[in-house]
Parts: sequence; structure tokens; C-alpha cells
Amino acid sequence: MSLLAADARAFVAAARKELRMWRRYPLFILGLLFWPIVLPATWVLMGQAYSGGGDARALAAFAERAGTTEFAGFVFVGYAMYMWLSNLLWGPGTALRQEQIRGSLEAVFLTPTSRLVALFAPPISHLPFSLLNFVTMGLTLWLVFGIVLPLGPVLEAMVVIAIGIPSMYAIGSLFAASVLRFGETGPIVQLVRGTFVLACGITFPLVMLPGWAQAGAALLPPTYIVADIRTVLFRGVGLGGIAIDLVLLLAFAGLITLLAVWVFRILETSARRRGTLGSY
Amino acid sequence: MTATAAEPAVDARGLVKVFERGRRTFWQRLRGEPDRRERFHAVDGIDLRVERGEIFGLLGPNGAGKTTTMKMLATLLIPTSGTISVLGIDVLARPRDVRARLGAMLSGERSLYWKLTARENLEYFAALYHVPPRQTRARIDDALTSVKLLDRADDYVERYSTGMRQRLALARALLPDPPLVILDEPTVGLDPQAARDLRARVRELRSQGRTVLLTTHYMEEADQLCDRVAIIDHGRIVALDTPGALKRTIRAEEVVRLEIGLADDGAAVLERLGRSATVARSERHNGTLAVTAHCASARDFVPAAFDAARSAGATIQHVEVVPVTLEDVFISLTGRALRE
Ligand SMILES: Nc1ncnc2c1ncn2[C@@H]1O[C@H](COP(=O)(O)OP(=O)(O)OP(=O)(O)O)[C@@H](O)[C@H]1O
Ligand SMILES: [Mg+2]
Repeated sequence: MSLLAADARAFVAAARKELRMWRRYPLFILGLLFWPIVLPATWVLMGQAYSGGGDARALAAFAERAGTTEFAGFVFVGYAMYMWLSNLLWGPGTALRQEQIRGSLEAVFLTPTSRLVALFAPPISHLPFSLLNFVTMGLTLWLVFGIVLPLGPVLEAMVVIAIGIPSMYAIGSLFAASVLRFGETGPIVQLVRGTFVLACGITFPLVMLPGWAQAGAALLPPTYIVADIRTVLFRGVGLGGIAIDLVLLLAFAGLITLLAVWVFRILETSARRRGTLGSY
Repeated sequence: MTATAAEPAVDARGLVKVFERGRRTFWQRLRGEPDRRERFHAVDGIDLRVERGEIFGLLGPNGAGKTTTMKMLATLLIPTSGTISVLGIDVLARPRDVRARLGAMLSGERSLYWKLTARENLEYFAALYHVPPRQTRARIDDALTSVKLLDRADDYVERYSTGMRQRLALARALLPDPPLVILDEPTVGLDPQAARDLRARVRELRSQGRTVLLTTHYMEEADQLCDRVAIIDHGRIVALDTPGALKRTIRAEEVVRLEIGLADDGAAVLERLGRSATVARSERHNGTLAVTAHCASARDFVPAAFDAARSAGATIQHVEVVPVTLEDVFISLTGRALRE
């Protein structure tokens, strides 16, 4: 068996182990169903109130900035992005950190498997939860707000998501790598997540931001993913119309992955010198 | 490439690990202040050669550098200087090859996933150890059998006792079918029964033809379990031999422990005791002097000790005659007890 195949199997085993641990917390699934419905719904209701219950002029003003009158759909797509990002920022970093504190990270580092398995496998194990989020939100849009998303654009949105996955998981891994060094996750997650909420247009169109902030947003992959999903779902633009964005996303994924590997390598060597692999 | 049987299991030379103590703040760096961190030699020039098929023990008190040494062998720590070869492989040059052949149990029960079953834990680690899929099941069953956990394989680890978790950690170390197993304080925190049980498992490893290198600060453990023992203190090896030979280095047949009640500082009584035995150690706790004496014959020394006490105005409250232990060897080498 070649080394690469063995590492690939280790990778699968690591993701599977993460999922098996989640299985021990069944109530966690409840939260997974609850928040994706409640949070965006409150924003949609708020939007309805501010627009005078869907007044035509208010909707036109929204469409001018957002490119669509579907503001419920707009908000839900934004929140799907937000939940995905939150999962990735909290999950892998926390998982790696817990391993470090518990001492299991040392046990993993005693094995011949590539260290990158420990870095990239936990984010991947979050994939099913993110998918569940998307499905819940789609169902809510349909059952609560009566918005039926046509199949063609939904499939196109799934392509956007698939292309966005590597860059999102690279962000999760980069974050996990830095957690190894800085320990505490809470404050950093809040900061990073807050930045993304503001910069990536979760509940509002990006044109509402000042120019410099828009320029900053252009450097963050979620900005493109959220905008492109909205474009294909609500504006009838096909994948061809957003091809440049998709190429950019893949480039981002490559860059961030390299950055994550580099950060992790440096931190690992420093930990092997200073003896801090298993400390906190 | 492959290690021949003639090569030792471990060959470390001039091993040194320096840690920095204290910290240097960002401000101090920025202002270019001198580095005031203390450089501390946790391991201070160790030469170690472990032969194939033996159980070799590193015995030493807290902070002696045992764990640091083990971590350097296991590729978790990069030495400050020195060379290590494990099973004939250079640890610094080819760490991944060493990891694939080495079974290490360093942090014990904490390093398992308590929310998974024993089997699930081992399935995960078998993949990390690159065990071929078709052999995984058999390898896991073998490992569980050799630590006597096969019947509890599908229980969650959180429901295990400490001893069982420790044995599971040992099973994990056996997954790569390693010719060399290193164990850091394998019985620490275990009750006597569980500790005895684990020691039996370690002896079985030797009878399977594996080499075992372990650390301990229990002298009985080193004595009963190990073929050879290195006594380590302050990052250096101060003695290395078989337990029997180490004990023979003390020129005494018997060890007598005394507790003496006295009013003065005890100098007078110690001086008199010293005439008929070697006082290896004495320690004063308000009003009582605890003395460890090495002598040729307790039968002659004990009456002499009573005379010495009486003439110094002290009273002997307790007498105990014990065989020579590795603890006494440690005391005679360092002037301190192993556990204080
Ligand atoms: N990462 C580290 N950074 C700084 N100092 C360290 C580090 N790890 C260990 N030390 C120090 O090195 C010395 C030796 O530690 P080590 O853990 O090797 O001792 P030990 O013999 O295993 O002791 P014990 O019986 O308590 O386990 C101790 O003084 C310890 O404080
Ligand atoms: Mg130790």
C-alpha cells in the first residue's frame, strides 16, 4: 500500500471518528434544526415590518440594491453562509484544541500519518451538518414563506457550493492551525465571524458598505459564494455569468490551503522544539 | 536499510535537551532588552544503549528528565544536541520511519477518546498507524487480547476504570506490531492490583520478543520488572546496571531505618551511629530524627544503636530492618530519596 493511499485512509478514519463523537450528543442535532429556522426568520419578519408589509416601492428600493425582490430568500442564503462559516470556525479549531489539551494530539503525532490529516480531517467531518443546514433552510423557505426554488437554479447553486467548499474548508483549517498556537478560541472566533458577517453581506446587500469595506470584502471567499448563490437563485443568471468568480474561489482555496499548511508546519516544529505539543 | 538484529533497539549519544524558562515579552523584544530567560538542561548528556529483547528501566525522581528523554526517542521533541537511533533508524533524519515501527505509550488514559468505544479508538489509530485494511481487525483483536480487554471492546472508554484505560493505551501502542515499546510511567495512578496486572502484560511483551523501555519512579517496579536499570537524576545517568548489581554497589548487607526521639539537633547521636554503620541519610521532623543506616549486620548494629542513643540522651522509638533496595542505591548516589 502506498504512503498516499495509507494517508487517505487515515484521513477518512479521522473524519469518521469525528462523526462518531458527534453521535454521542444527539441534542446537538436539535440545535442544528432550530437555529437555521429561527435566526433568519426573525430577520425576514423584521424586513417585512420595515418595508411596510411588502410595500411595492420598498421592494423596488431593495431590488435596486440587491438585484432581487426575494428578500426572504436573500436573507436565508446569507444565513446559510453564516452558519456554514460559524461551524467551520468553531468546529475544527475547537476539535484540534481539545485534542491538544486532552493529550490525544500527542498520540496522533506518534503515528506515521501525515500531520495534515489532523489538520484537514476535522473540518471535512462538518460537511454533513452544513448540508443539513442548507436543506432545513430550503424547506423553511418553502413551507413558511411559500418560496419554491426552481430545480435548475438550485442545482446551479449546488455547483457554486461545491466549488466554494475547498476555500471554506481551507479557512477552517487555517483557523484551526492558528488555534494550536494561541489556545483560546472564543475571542478570535467572535472577531473573525463578526468581520465576515459585516463584510460578506449576510443580511444586507454589499453596496450598503462604504467603499473601503467593499474592497476588503472582495478578498474574502464567502463574499463570492453568498453573492453567486443569490445570483443564480434569484436573478436568473446562469453559471456562465459568474465563471470568473468561480475561478477566483478555486484560487483562494489553493492560496489559503498553502497558508494553512505553512502556518501548521511552523507551529509544529516550534512545538517540537519547545515541548508544547501537549500543553495549554 | 532494514535493521539487523545485531543493532541495539535504542542507541542515544550525548543527548541534551535545553528548555527556556520564564518568558520574553513582545515589549522586551521590541526594545532589544537582553534575554533573561533561564536556559535549563532537562536532559544533560545522556548516553543510552538498550539491547534487543530486554526490559530496560529509567528510574528517577520527579523532574529527572525521564519524560523528556522518552519524547525525544518518540520524535515528539527535537533534541538540542546529540544523536538517537531507534531500531537502527536515525530519529532526526527519518522520524516517520521511526514512528511506523515504534509503540509508544506516553500520556496514558488521557490520550484516548472517552466518547468512543475501545474498538472505535483502535480502529482510528490503526488507520493512523497505516495498518493494511485487511489486517486491521486481526491486529485490533490481538492488541485487545494481549491487554485482556477483548470482552469489553465495545464499551465506551468513559465507563472504563483507570487501569483499563491504561491497558487500552498500551493496546494502542501495540497496533503497529512494534519490535520496540516505550512506556512512560505505565503504572502511575493505578492501584496495586492493576499495577501488578500491567507489569504482567509488560513481561509478556518481552516473551513475545519485543524490547521494552520504560520509565518509573517506583523502585520496586524497576527492581521486579527490569533486566537493566539506569538511574537518572538532574538529566544525567548516575548509574546503569542490572538491579542486582546496582544493589551490590552498596557496601552493606542490610539497611536499618531508625526513628529517634531527641531534644538537641542530633549531631551527637549521628556521630556515634556513624562509628558502627554508614549513615546514608538523616532527616529531622520536629523532635524526631529519621535515620537510614547501611550496615554489615543488623544483629550487631541495632544494640550498638541503642547504646549510642542512650549515651547521647536520645531514645529510639522505632527500628526496622529491611533488605537493600534501589532506593538505597539512589540515596547513596545522590543523598536524596526518590520521592520527596
Ligand atoms: N516543555 C517544557 N518547557 C520547559 N520545561 C520543561 C518542559 N518539559 C519539561 N520541562 C522541565 O524539564 C524537567 C524534566 O521534566 P520531565 O518531564 O522530563 O521529568 P520526569 O523525569 O518525567 O518527571 P516526572 O517523574 O515528574 O514525570 C522538569 O524540571 C520540567 O519542569
Ligand atoms: Mg514524566
